[in-house]
Amino acid sequence: MAGDRIPIALGAAALLILVATPGLLSPFLVQFLINLFMLAALAESWNIIGGFTGYASFGNVAFFGVGAYATGVLLTTAELPFALALAAGGIAAAVFAALVGMPILRLKGHYFAIATLGVAETTREIVYNLRITGGGTGLTMPISRSPLPFYYLMLSILLATTLVNWWLSSSRFGYGLIAIREDEDAAAAMGINTPLYKTIAFSVSGGLAGLVGGVFAYWITFIDPEGVFKVSTTIQMIIMAVFGGAGTVAGPLLGALVLSSVSEFLSTQLVSLAELVNGLIVILVVLFMPRGLAEMIRKRQFSLRDFARNFREYRV
Amino acid sequence: MLLTQVLVNGILLGGLYGIMALGMSLIWGVMNIVNVAHGALIMLGAYLTFWTFTLWGWDPFLSLPVTIGVLFVYGYVLQRFLLNLIVRAQLFLTLLITFGVEVVMVNLARIAWSSDLRQVSPDYAAANFSVRGITVPYVRLWVFCATMVLSVLFLLVLEKTRLGLAIRATSEELRAARLTGIPVAHVYAVTFGLGAALAGAAGGLWGMLFPITPVMGGALTLKSFVVAVLGGLGTMMGAIVGGLVLGIAESFTATYLGPTYPNAISFGLLVLILIFRPTGLLGRRG
Amino acid sequence: MRNSARRFLILAGATVAIGVMATTAPAADEIVVGSAISQSGKYAREGKFYVDAYTLTADAINKAGGVKVGGKSYKLALKLYDDQSDPNLAVRLFTKLVTSDKVNVLLGPYSSGITIPASTVAEKYEIPMVQGGGASGKIFDRGYKYIFGTLPKAEFYFQAAVEAAAKMSPPVRTAALLYSNEAFDRSVADGTRQWLKDQKIDKIYDEEYQPATQDFTSILAVIRSKSPDLILVAGHEENALNFIRQSQAADVNPRMAVFTVGPPTGDFRKTLGKAAEYVYGITPWLPDMDVGGEIFKTARDFDRQFQERFGYQADYHVASGAADVLALKFAIEKANSVEAKKVRDALAALDVETLYGRIKFEPTGQIAMGQVLVQIQEGKLVPIYASGKMIGKPVYPTPSWSQRR
Repeated sequence: MAGDRIPIALGAAALLILVATPGLLSPFLVQFLINLFMLAALAESWNIIGGFTGYASFGNVAFFGVGAYATGVLLTTAELPFALALAAGGIAAAVFAALVGMPILRLKGHYFAIATLGVAETTREIVYNLRITGGGTGLTMPISRSPLPFYYLMLSILLATTLVNWWLSSSRFGYGLIAIREDEDAAAAMGINTPLYKTIAFSVSGGLAGLVGGVFAYWITFIDPEGVFKVSTTIQMIIMAVFGGAGTVAGPLLGALVLSSVSEFLSTQLVSLAELVNGLIVILVVLFMPRGLAEMIRKRQFSLRDFARNFREYRV
Repeated sequence: MLLTQVLVNGILLGGLYGIMALGMSLIWGVMNIVNVAHGALIMLGAYLTFWTFTLWGWDPFLSLPVTIGVLFVYGYVLQRFLLNLIVRAQLFLTLLITFGVEVVMVNLARIAWSSDLRQVSPDYAAANFSVRGITVPYVRLWVFCATMVLSVLFLLVLEKTRLGLAIRATSEELRAARLTGIPVAHVYAVTFGLGAALAGAAGGLWGMLFPITPVMGGALTLKSFVVAVLGGLGTMMGAIVGGLVLGIAESFTATYLGPTYPNAISFGLLVLILIFRPTGLLGRRG
Repeated sequence: MRNSARRFLILAGATVAIGVMATTAPAADEIVVGSAISQSGKYAREGKFYVDAYTLTADAINKAGGVKVGGKSYKLALKLYDDQSDPNLAVRLFTKLVTSDKVNVLLGPYSSGITIPASTVAEKYEIPMVQGGGASGKIFDRGYKYIFGTLPKAEFYFQAAVEAAAKMSPPVRTAALLYSNEAFDRSVADGTRQWLKDQKIDKIYDEEYQPATQDFTSILAVIRSKSPDLILVAGHEENALNFIRQSQAADVNPRMAVFTVGPPTGDFRKTLGKAAEYVYGITPWLPDMDVGGEIFKTARDFDRQFQERFGYQADYHVASGAADVLALKFAIEKANSVEAKKVRDALAALDVETLYGRIKFEPTGQIAMGQVLVQIQEGKLVPIYASGKMIGKPVYPTPSWSQRR
């Protein structure tokens, strides 16, 4: 793994800088970074089920939302200390993902994608109708004045999700997931307990997303069903992972870094066009770099001919 | 009596749901493309009907053929020059790209026509008649009839014309279709065009009953999913049956459970159907 | 590897730099007022009222000499973002306004649903926010010190309507209450239940609906089967438009139908045309009210200037937005400083007459103002009931749809 040494060194250096400097940065930059860590962590969490296992879930925001609400409700109604509420949020999301995953992971391809979408939508509607979640009015958390704890928390979760991905890339369990992605029947024939593997992957993916949700709830101080169960959140996760390179370790991180910077720039400069450009980005990424930036960097394929190669493979 | 009213309401709306899902079911069944931009196509059809009504006074029912034609061309071009490029890519990529198309279409509509609510209201908009205490708005009845007529026409095209044959052949056995000289790229584009045309018709009809905004499509795409899956993907009759079932289910849920439940029920139904009977009510097994 | 790594670093660095570039600082002779308001999305219609109101008022203030602090005249500058009707984006934008753009004071967004989280940002960073787009009591019952509102309490919205209903002849005996699953509308419903009880009107229908609902057919079917005298609907403009249209198609004929949002807005009446006749609405402000103050001498004057500039009639949203900007101007001048805490204290003690009426905030931060029940008659708004008395003649009971043909 000699080729990995430089990226690892870069990563470690970046990490050191990020850990040491928040106090020196402007509040706006701190906000931007917290948001970045959040999106990167979500993209990495999606990568586990979507990238490694090949089960493209279009409903992972459901777990983000469940984590947010579980933490939120425990924080406000039960008045638990945040650490406990957050842990409970992550666990709730993981359990929810496992329960939902068991029947749904039996489906393949489009059916699975639509089912996950349906789960996300149904969960949102249920949350809308419950009294304890505040329904359409949402939940307001107690005010926390300093963003620094959230900065470190999000960074830690990002670290955790990236490490999980890294572990997957070189562990037997991870190879099992990749085998499932490449040829599920063959994997089963080789003795891999595919339903168990898939459910674990889904559950871990969901649990991590839930942790992100819990921190998000406290950080943003207000959550409502529309905000934490957005389909576009899942799309963001997916496109960042795809853009960076689904199934790789650094891919989702890269994708999150580039795309959220672009998005941030747009939302302040060209306010009304921001979403439009986001949509165009999605189209362009799928057309020209579906295998992601990481792959392009690894193979050093930056020329136009390389971009067009995808067409020959994918067109009618 | 309330029961009958609820049933009637459900059936009338169900016809509209059916035709909405028909377009999606066709595209999904033939090309295995899940068109997340389906709602945006419906929205486009609605706006077309609105503008022809507002600018030139065309009656919304009479302008339907025009809406259908325009959306057909639009769909053809979209498929031929964009979607055909990634047709054989992994499934979730096609899903992703149609998401992108949806965002672009919705935002272009927002920029061009603003988020203001539009409504098509011809003079006969609120006219209704009563039969034994059941009130039926004329427009809803005519919309329902229109959906039935269009569905039958569409089914005829699919079953009886050479084009329909080509479409069905391409969907069932792509390689064989190619070998017999069927221009697949063209057939795909025509299929998408047809799906878009149906969506456009649905939009035109929807626009007569409900306000039109650039973001109206999102919920309709999801509803179309539910109906298409409920009825059985790829089966056209399934879409219509699914639509009626959903329409009635929603009507009853809204009335007897409470107005905030229909969405939860529809999506819950989607998930349950996918788990227990993914081929839907009318779909073939396997 | 090294080549690509370098290329990547440059790419990453560039994108991060770009993303972080957009920061501005206020000019030396300006007082910057910031806000994120719904310029797109489901609240775009109402959001526009506020953008236009803020703009007109700021310009009028500047034309009249600006804001005077410490003997110097400052220009009032607006910095407005689009929150796309999304509370989460609003929170981020308000945070940006406070931390990065370093605005002096804040104006509110539209809708209680967005104002609740936005006000939390104001409170967190201790920058005063004056808002005229959120009426729910929930905005003000958290003990926050930095939020002020010029819309009267949502819980009181239907009080005038219910009182008037009980005084009609023949008086209303049964009522149907329908409200949206949103902060504002839930608050309205909470209050309304009390008013109905007070007036001894029988509540025979009480249901919540999803804000995104477009099809009220089932709801109307049930309401029709119960035949209430009075229908009260708490929702936003789109809901009201749909409900009225569909109630015509479903032949639902209450004696009185009142809506929280819609009737006072010119656009509403234009869109519905004849179907808007006899519909009742609520407003704390009308252009012919006998109120006025500095910058805009009378309400009529304000309406005239507004119509000249923007081409549509001002309604209470617009007047409320204008009042917010004025409140900030007066508070800053009274405090003779732009220091957040001093401005905040001046706002809490403010008591001034304006085109909107008397601006005086309760200890919670919300204004206390009466609502007027109005009815649409021949396309015009006719005040019917206010401050406990009938002040106009209603067309009651509302003629049925078939009678109107």
